[in-house]
Amino acid sequence: MNVFSTMVTGIQWRDVVDITLNSYILFRLYVLFRRTNVFRVLIGIALLWFFQRIAVTLGLVLTSWAIQGITAATALIIIIVFRNEIRTVLQTKNLKTILWDITPPSRSEPVDVIVESVYELSHKKHGALIVIPGMDDLEEVVLGGINWQGVPSKEMLSSIFWPDNPVHDGAVIIRDGHVARVGAVLPLSRRKDFPVHLGTRHRAALGLAEATDALVLVVSEESGKVMAARKSRLIPVQDNLQLSRLLHEQLGDSDQSSGSGRKEKVRLAAAAFFAVLFVVSIWFSFTRGRYTLITIDRPIEFVNPAKKVEVYDVSANTVRLSLSGSATIIKSLDPDTVRVRIDLGKAKLGRNTFHILKDNITLPPGISLKRVSPTSVEATLDVPVQKVLPVQVDWIGKLPPGLRLMAVRVEPARVTVVGRRTNIAHLATIYTQKVSLNRLRTSGSLTLKLAPLPRGSEIYLKTKDQITVHFVIKQKEPQA
Amino acid sequence: MQMKKLSSGLLAGCVLFAAAAVSLPGALLFAQEKPVAATPGQPGKLSLEYAVMCEGVKDFKPLNPGVVFSITVGKISCFTAFDAVPSKVFIGHKWYFRDRLVAQMSRVLKPPRWATVSSIQLRASDRGPWRVEIVDSTGKILRVLRFSITD
Repeated sequence: MNVFSTMVTGIQWRDVVDITLNSYILFRLYVLFRRTNVFRVLIGIALLWFFQRIAVTLGLVLTSWAIQGITAATALIIIIVFRNEIRTVLQTKNLKTILWDITPPSRSEPVDVIVESVYELSHKKHGALIVIPGMDDLEEVVLGGINWQGVPSKEMLSSIFWPDNPVHDGAVIIRDGHVARVGAVLPLSRRKDFPVHLGTRHRAALGLAEATDALVLVVSEESGKVMAARKSRLIPVQDNLQLSRLLHEQLGDSDQSSGSGRKEKVRLAAAAFFAVLFVVSIWFSFTRGRYTLITIDRPIEFVNPAKKVEVYDVSANTVRLSLSGSATIIKSLDPDTVRVRIDLGKAKLGRNTFHILKDNITLPPGISLKRVSPTSVEATLDVPVQKVLPVQVDWIGKLPPGLRLMAVRVEPARVTVVGRRTNIAHLATIYTQKVSLNRLRTSGSLTLKLAPLPRGSEIYLKTKDQITVHFVIKQKEPQA
Repeated sequence: MQMKKLSSGLLAGCVLFAAAAVSLPGALLFAQEKPVAATPGQPGKLSLEYAVMCEGVKDFKPLNPGVVFSITVGKISCFTAFDAVPSKVFIGHKWYFRDRLVAQMSRVLKPPRWATVSSIQLRASDRGPWRVEIVDSTGKILRVLRFSITD
């Protein structure tokens, strides 16, 4: 009970959406690809992946490695081998069908016309081979034939299978209410227990039924008997009603039988249930698997400052975060998705203390925060300002006896500095580098640089730091 | 005490002013920043005619004015002369060493003209750049004198 509550606690709305969305996608894949070979292979891949996880859990290194390789190869092969089938499924459906329609695929094949034609041909003992495709693509298995695209009628089918017609030995493929192809060559069954009294036409019908999910109707030339080949089986058709039922089943017309409709609903409900169960299992294995701890350092981002306000003197530029989560999620964690943001919207100018809470930290789904260090940072907010300051020469040394420095003129007399308002407020003068008087004898000019601004003051010179100094030296007046 | 004596000696400010104004060449004034006070001669307004740093005052004149002084001088003075003093008024000399206010001296001026001086004793640690701000009674800067104390 405790384990269950531990697993369930902490599920957020995002997790519910995550599970629901993926369950629905899985369910839709089932709806779209049911009754196809692709679906069967997909189930195989899912089973392989499941076994691979078990092998990993049990520590079977070689087995898990091998299954992983097979799974990857199979996933690649499925796209290549079943490309036509996948294309058929996706191309023949509109967006509504792909997204939410769950009614089984029904087609408007002219069942009555086919039934009547078959029995007409049976009555005349004209051999016939009629293919009603299922979900599988026939392109890979059916050879030759002539594209027809005609609207089927009893007369047309009778004339196709008329013994003098050049294509009467081939098969007719009826798809989407049209005679799509005539004179098609079907693959022959290689079954050794094939009844000897049946001919090549029956063998061809069975061959296609073995290779695909198509329904193939055969009319015997010798006896006029009607048989249907489906799911690797040859079924004798007793009457038109049975034939009609077989055709409706093949076409997925659920209204024909309330029993099959119920079955279909149960099947869909089961598929939905298993989709949810499967996704929930994977979700739990991802998010509630073996817990791992990780420690990362992330920079602090100061966001939403007031206009012109800048951040100075931050006590810490990064914070150390201890994070936990399942091994899978921790392993694939991109540190850039973890962000530490401090909102400066309500901060005031001057020194501020910001506490780093959970709300300040953005984490990817499945990751939880264990510890933050430091738990608070201090930062000073200030507005950078410009200030124009006078330049003063910093003289050192001593003039030779009898001389005095009478006057000094500096060009430019003032320079512009930029910095924090609080730091710059007390600054009244910018000094030059120290200038020695020792060698000065006469008036003249010097080119100087300004003294470096105090380190850490975050004040910057906006103008060039080269200064010209003009000075006047005179003799001292004799002392009386 | 020394300053008081000196100021007392300058009570005949008009005489001293006249002597100083005549004896000092205007060309040397470019050592100081331009005055921000009222235009000289404007009626009813205090007008600073002349301000200079010097080694002292002798015969009512600033002695060895300049912008660099040796620490060995022992004392330096700020000499200011006003050519229009509408009424009795106080002015101030604010002494800064490296932008730090180290002394503030108040002086009285009397109409119609007046000159006054303030001085400080130098210590070994006073080497470096200095400035003196001459301010009126409201604290408005009339002129800034910049100078250095060196070896």
